[in-house]
Amino acid sequence: MSRTVLLFGGIITAALIAILYAALGNDPQHIDSPLVGVAAPNFALKQVGSAANVDLASFRGRPVVLNFWATWCRPCWEEHPLLTQAAQLSDGRVQFVGVVFQDDEKKIIQFLQQRGWAYPTLVDERGKTAIAYGVGGVPETFFIDKNGTIVAKFDGPMSSEALMTNVQKAMR
Amino acid sequence: MKRLLLFALFALLASAQMRVPDAEQFVGPPRGTPLTGAALETESHTLASMLRCPVCQGLSIADSPSEMAINMRGQVRELLQRGFTHDQILTYFEHSYGQFVLLKPKFRGVTSFVWTLPLLVLIIGVAIVVMKMRKMQSVPT
Repeated sequence: MSRTVLLFGGIITAALIAILYAALGNDPQHIDSPLVGVAAPNFALKQVGSAANVDLASFRGRPVVLNFWATWCRPCWEEHPLLTQAAQLSDGRVQFVGVVFQDDEKKIIQFLQQRGWAYPTLVDERGKTAIAYGVGGVPETFFIDKNGTIVAKFDGPMSSEALMTNVQKAMR
Repeated sequence: MKRLLLFALFALLASAQMRVPDAEQFVGPPRGTPLTGAALETESHTLASMLRCPVCQGLSIADSPSEMAINMRGQVRELLQRGFTHDQILTYFEHSYGQFVLLKPKFRGVTSFVWTLPLLVLIIGVAIVVMKMRKMQSVPT
């Protein structure tokens, strides 16, 4: 075999191994959101258990934790007590907002009455808001700073450490 | 009758205040012709075939039965009805989900390798074969 073939073969193999090695540590479920660093898409959605709409822009001036979730999502059940507790502890300094995704309002009310209802929960009919935020699955949480810019996104149920770290980013 | 009218008025007011993020704020006003009928169905399917279902394994939203895909197909259809172009609609979904949502990646950045690498490998392969053949021809038998 000639040296040219060996050289090109070696370069191509090394490049492929390098790409595979670099991708080994990646979580296949995690996709970076292109929305981090840009203005949060605004919306005004109907609040669960009320006829009133809640406008995201009305929270401008304080950090917002925007959590997409659903009652049929088991990991959301695990995450719910943490969010409820954090919302109560923050005492309004950080605004928590839930957006319910592909769900039924009766089930949402039942869930919140049983498991705690500490912040506004909104209904996203036909998932248009979820699509605008690039939501693929639930739970997904966006952290929005006081100027309305998305500073972080978290996929899946959060630990208290992950919640704190991202809230701090939104408070800067 | 009075009650019914009041209820209708209340529902109208509530829906008027409700606002979802609109594609127009990300990709500008519609630049195409609003579609209806058979053209709408054909174009909806074409575009849906180009968008990846975010909750499925490699399926387009045209092929997926998931609720997420149904919602996305609904949005594609609505945007076409309003006169948004293919490019505007793909850009809107890319704005939210990133290039991941495009089943056919655009020729730019790292994804340009997806297009250029196979061609490059083919050219190198052909060059090696040609070189080898020339060498073989030049060797006296």
